Amino acid sequence: MLVFERVAIGSGHGIRCTRCHPDNESPVYHPAAQVLAAVQAVVDTWHGGPGPNVTLTGPEPFAHPELPGMVAGAIDAGVHRLRLEVDGGAFARPGNAEGALGAGVRHVQVTLLGGTEGVHDALAGGPGAFDAATTGMAALDDAIRTAGVAAIVTVLVPVCRHNVADLPAAVGAAVQAGAASVLLRLEDGGIDLEAAAPWITAACDTGVVNGVWVEVEGVPFCVLPAYDLHLASTVRATGGAKPAAVCHACPLDRVCSGGPEGASAETMSAFAPPAGAERLAQAVSRSRGGAR
Amino acid sequence: MTDRTRPLHVALLALNSSGYQSLALGYLRAYAQADDRLKGKAAFTTLDLTVDLDPWWVAWRVLGMEPDVLGISVTCWNARAVYEVCRIVAEVRPETVIVLGGPEVGPIAEDVLRERPAVHAVVRGEGERTFAELLHAFASGGKAWRVDGVTTRKLDEIVSAPDRALIENLDVVPSPYLTGVMSPIEGGAYLETYRGCPHRCGYCFEGKGYGRIRSFSHERIAAEIAAVAGAPQIRTFSFIDPVFNLTGERLTWLADTLEPYAASGVRLHTIEVDIERIDEAAARELKRAGVASVETGPQTTGEAALSACRRTFDAERFADGVAACRRAGISVECDLIVGLPGDDAHSFLAGLRFAIGLDPGIVQSSTLHVLPGTDLWMRAPELGLSFDPEPPHEIIATPDVGYRDLRRAEVLAVSVQAAYRARV
Repeated sequence: MLVFERVAIGSGHGIRCTRCHPDNESPVYHPAAQVLAAVQAVVDTWHGGPGPNVTLTGPEPFAHPELPGMVAGAIDAGVHRLRLEVDGGAFARPGNAEGALGAGVRHVQVTLLGGTEGVHDALAGGPGAFDAATTGMAALDDAIRTAGVAAIVTVLVPVCRHNVADLPAAVGAAVQAGAASVLLRLEDGGIDLEAAAPWITAACDTGVVNGVWVEVEGVPFCVLPAYDLHLASTVRATGGAKPAAVCHACPLDRVCSGGPEGASAETMSAFAPPAGAERLAQAVSRSRGGAR
Repeated sequence: MTDRTRPLHVALLALNSSGYQSLALGYLRAYAQADDRLKGKAAFTTLDLTVDLDPWWVAWRVLGMEPDVLGISVTCWNARAVYEVCRIVAEVRPETVIVLGGPEVGPIAEDVLRERPAVHAVVRGEGERTFAELLHAFASGGKAWRVDGVTTRKLDEIVSAPDRALIENLDVVPSPYLTGVMSPIEGGAYLETYRGCPHRCGYCFEGKGYGRIRSFSHERIAAEIAAVAGAPQIRTFSFIDPVFNLTGERLTWLADTLEPYAASGVRLHTIEVDIERIDEAAARELKRAGVASVETGPQTTGEAALSACRRTFDAERFADGVAACRRAGISVECDLIVGLPGDDAHSFLAGLRFAIGLDPGIVQSSTLHVLPGTDLWMRAPELGLSFDPEPPHEIIATPDVGYRDLRRAEVLAVSVQAAYRARV
């Protein structure tokens, strides 16, 4: 619902599944001046409603030697909501949480690859990562309460075949660590969606009963009937440019984002348009229209 | 209660949100204390407590006072705790007469007495005059069931006396602030300049329960403003008027009256306004009055829900009103209700998207409470509303949205609102 423009602080990636991405390249960070020029361009051309809002993406920001200056510069440039995508561990180190909040960071998205030490550490490629992430989140949560600022911690779970069965536990871990919401982003085009669906719905329900919203990205309406409210296509009004020839023709085409990137026609052919698809498409269109 | 030689000890109890005191109890006490017939016959103590207290400890406080009459103000959100207090007090001290009043119990007075044996009487509607009459009956050996506006027990029967007419001249109700019954507290003091509401929203008791608009006099309002805004400890206070900008003239008069206090730094918070009638000039008047934040709808933007709730909504005028306030430096809280009849989860989401898109400052949603005496309460069967009969009467499901999607919409809204609020 809120729009965040993404600005990369370097090449490479933050934490992600090492089984899906065994050849993770070493990050190369952009100079702060280059990042801030991109931030300024976002601010100058902002037309996305409440904002400007920026997510600093790419490799782990706390490894960037100029992070404090970049954060300060982004706030000075006029960014209202600055989000960092992190592995969470840095916040366990004294002063980092307070420093980030003091500098103006108000949104922090921590990546969890699983809900347990076993799964997260195995996929992250090393021991101690889960403990560091959850300890960091708890420290950040404490710092937010102490500072009395309006800031939120959210969790991103990149979903793949290696962690799909751990999704309910991942949401549980996010809840326990104080997350305000969880984003399940399907990033594995080869995943068995039929088998994944019950885990995703269980993860959504785990969030709702604990008062934490779970949003699902990269999953079409037909895979999760009756869970349409959880889809990014509904909440963030993304989608509507579904890749052609992958799915059945469907009344939801105009509002659906389709399957995960790389999903094959064979994978998607298992799913027919859900019952009441036309009515649902109208409802989603109506909701995207805002008032009336 | 038989004829008495010593004064009645009347304890007035409210279970408030933290940081607030009950204006309703202030009015009741100020009115009763000014009643000549009760002079020397009734002594009053007010217990302004918070709703989060354990009812057993509230009962402890009440019982320690050994009251002859316990009067309690009941709303949907404190009713469960109040009923628990009543049960304990009646068990320990059955001679205490328990009288309830307020919007939660008045419209369903007979049901309350039927279901709550600890309760002796319910004051229906506007309470000041009725409560004083009831105390007079208690003090003089009169019959409570003959007091207009009271529902009570007569032997094994539950009887309701005729409704009492609304107070024509509100100035006959002494001000709790001017009489010293209440001392204003920082951030938690409220003033009321009129009763009634120009709107008839289906979910709200204000317009239906208190009918046409009756105003306190300008002299009375000005004196209360001086007492509250001029108190040295007060930097912020508020008004409970359902629409602060009732008319342009009235708004200008209020701004004139409040301006000297605003100039010395006193601010008004969460003033309820009809935002669609706020233009640049009205926003300036609000600013001049010291208004720092206003609260408004839209509650819903869905056509079917607006119609079911008898509300109007003009998206363009609404957006203009929010923008005018923002330009004047006034924060706007946009309120939405989850679960209105006619709205499904997607319509609610449309309203949420609309409100966030205006960048008002705060967006706040709450779940529909089908309150006794409201239009929705009475039309619930016709509208197919399923709601909790126990207070706070939360909606369970409607023909348009089921239980699970309602709960989802609540959680989603909280998440979106928190993300919106989180900014430098």
